[in-house]
Amino acid sequence: MIIRMAKVEIVGPKKDLLETLDVLHNRGIFQPDPQLLEKVELAAGDHLDALVLDDAELRERSFFQDLHERITRLLDLLPKAGNDRSPLQPLPVMDVLDELSRRHLDEAEDANNSLKDCRQSADALNRDLSFWQALEPLLAELPDPTNLELFGVTIRDSHQLHDLEKLLSEKTLGRCYVSSTTTTDGAQVALIATNRSVAEQLRQALSDVRVPELSLPEDLAALPVPERVTALRERLESRQAQCRDLEAQLQKLSRRWRPIYERAERWVEERLSLYRATAAAYTTRLCFIIQGWMAEAEVDPLRGDLERIFAGRVALEQHRILEEDLDQVPVMLRNPGYFAPFEILSRLLPLPKYASYDPTPLLALFFPVLFGMILGDAGYGTILLLIALLLAKRFPAGSTASDLGKVLGVAALYTLLFGLLYGEFFGDLGEAWFGMHPIWFDRGKAVLPMAVFALTVGLFHILLGITLGALAELRRHRPRKALVKLAMLATVLLLVLALASWLYPQTWLSTGPLLIGVGILMPVLIAAEGLLGPLELLKTLGNIISYVRIMAIGLSSVLLAVVANRLGGMVGDILVGILVAGILHAFNLLLGVFAPTVHSLRLHYVEFFSKFLDLGGRRFEPWHKRPS
Amino acid sequence: MEKVWIAFAAALAVGLPAIATAWAQSRIGAAGAGTLAEKPELTGVIIILVAIPETMVILGFVVAAMILLML
Repeated sequence: MIIRMAKVEIVGPKKDLLETLDVLHNRGIFQPDPQLLEKVELAAGDHLDALVLDDAELRERSFFQDLHERITRLLDLLPKAGNDRSPLQPLPVMDVLDELSRRHLDEAEDANNSLKDCRQSADALNRDLSFWQALEPLLAELPDPTNLELFGVTIRDSHQLHDLEKLLSEKTLGRCYVSSTTTTDGAQVALIATNRSVAEQLRQALSDVRVPELSLPEDLAALPVPERVTALRERLESRQAQCRDLEAQLQKLSRRWRPIYERAERWVEERLSLYRATAAAYTTRLCFIIQGWMAEAEVDPLRGDLERIFAGRVALEQHRILEEDLDQVPVMLRNPGYFAPFEILSRLLPLPKYASYDPTPLLALFFPVLFGMILGDAGYGTILLLIALLLAKRFPAGSTASDLGKVLGVAALYTLLFGLLYGEFFGDLGEAWFGMHPIWFDRGKAVLPMAVFALTVGLFHILLGITLGALAELRRHRPRKALVKLAMLATVLLLVLALASWLYPQTWLSTGPLLIGVGILMPVLIAAEGLLGPLELLKTLGNIISYVRIMAIGLSSVLLAVVANRLGGMVGDILVGILVAGILHAFNLLLGVFAPTVHSLRLHYVEFFSKFLDLGGRRFEPWHKRPS
Repeated sequence: MEKVWIAFAAALAVGLPAIATAWAQSRIGAAGAGTLAEKPELTGVIIILVAIPETMVILGFVVAAMILLML
């Protein structure tokens, strides 16, 4: 249901503003609304001004903004180190924290930059090492490596290798040796060996065709290949050790200071949010005024708290919600016990307006009934009930899966109930196995009675919707619109009764007077709504006919179940028959959950709610502290 | 022979609206899926929009049932 809200005004001396905002933040029950104050100013022609911070407050805000930015950067640089929390109260040590944070930020930035360079260098060395390690066995194939110039190159694919061999052979007149292999990470590399006399020509040729030569630090390039590998390995180990040292340094810094800075960051953030909240306050020369919304039940406790904390200096006053405020009142929905899980269905719609209705209780009452009427099979109901119990037990209370389980459970109970009324247990299996007979009627055969039943349900549902719509109009002090709704209700009722008296003549029910009644009401509708009146009437009749889907989808479900049983019986083999029937029943059950859900929801969203629900409400979003 | 025509009329009464509903739902469904990718909060509205054309086939079914039961 929609929680009753209160429009409140909080007034106090300017010096108590921040502390008042802090109290409101801590309680998390108040939503400021500066637009309300603008109305006060216009109405009274008073001298209310938006709050302007004085020099000291501006300096403090600037200080906290700087500090917050610095701490955030520092926390980004420090690695996570456990879940310790600091009990430190940041305010008394704020100046020390300011100084320390500068030093620690420099330290963390230096360490991070060095670590980044070190990792890049280690990555490059690792890459070189893997190349030269892969090339090392190829050297054994060379006749005398000492008189040769050696090149290592990376190769894209075998085509490029082939082209390269051809080119180098031309450039060096065949005085060149090319051999290729694959590194541990899958890259293809080649070793090129040639006489020193043609080395420059070959280097130029490689450059011309843009084949990159494996680069090495200068001091390593002069070494023979086996020594290169050893030197690369030693250098890589040294870099890795350096990286570990830097990581340890950052970990140490983080372990010691991160909990303190996290605590400080939260505190500063809350302090800054108080400054941001001052935008909602207006001031006179000496006082501040904040207006906003809160749940009516919370007004007295908050008034008491403010009275106690500020010794009567800060007052809270509740104002009457005016007609023009109704669209502005934020909406908070809260449903007890049985109704609460059904919020997963009402959340699919936008929020209702404050003066409208919470659709959740209505969904909780009617959705499972319509679901059960459509599916209506004791066997399917039992399976769904078991699935619902599993979901509700397996998942924690309040989770979506648990709520879904509870909604499904109620729907399954109605499915079971209607299954007994229709005499269905996996279609006609109940009749064949246990001699089960319908308590009410067999909807597989009695199509017309089922259609009449569905239409009657639709008529009741729609008339209830129109009645609720009339009540909503009365609550909004619009008696004319309420009367139009009631005239519509009477017209629909008279038309349906006239149709019933024509189809099933009764001595006490005469068609003529009923149609005369419709004739009297029609001009009223046209006078009130213009041509839209009759159109709305037609739409309403269409809405009622739409409930025939309860019969139509139900009939398809029962026929599919019967077909499953017949096919299973036709197979000839018991096991295969059970398997065939089981698969078809499983498919029917899947459809049987999906179709009744969608169609029951549609009957609510389109047909029922359109008669009274006014959507587009503002969500109640109170100030609150950031969860730690 | 008359029974054949009755059955054929009933089939047309439910078949044609079914095709029309399917076409309408395919268009609305595709547009709705695109909308939901950007605004998941419109799920309820999209369900409503997709379900609206189904009234056609439901009414077709009613007419078909009337043809079969009343003739």
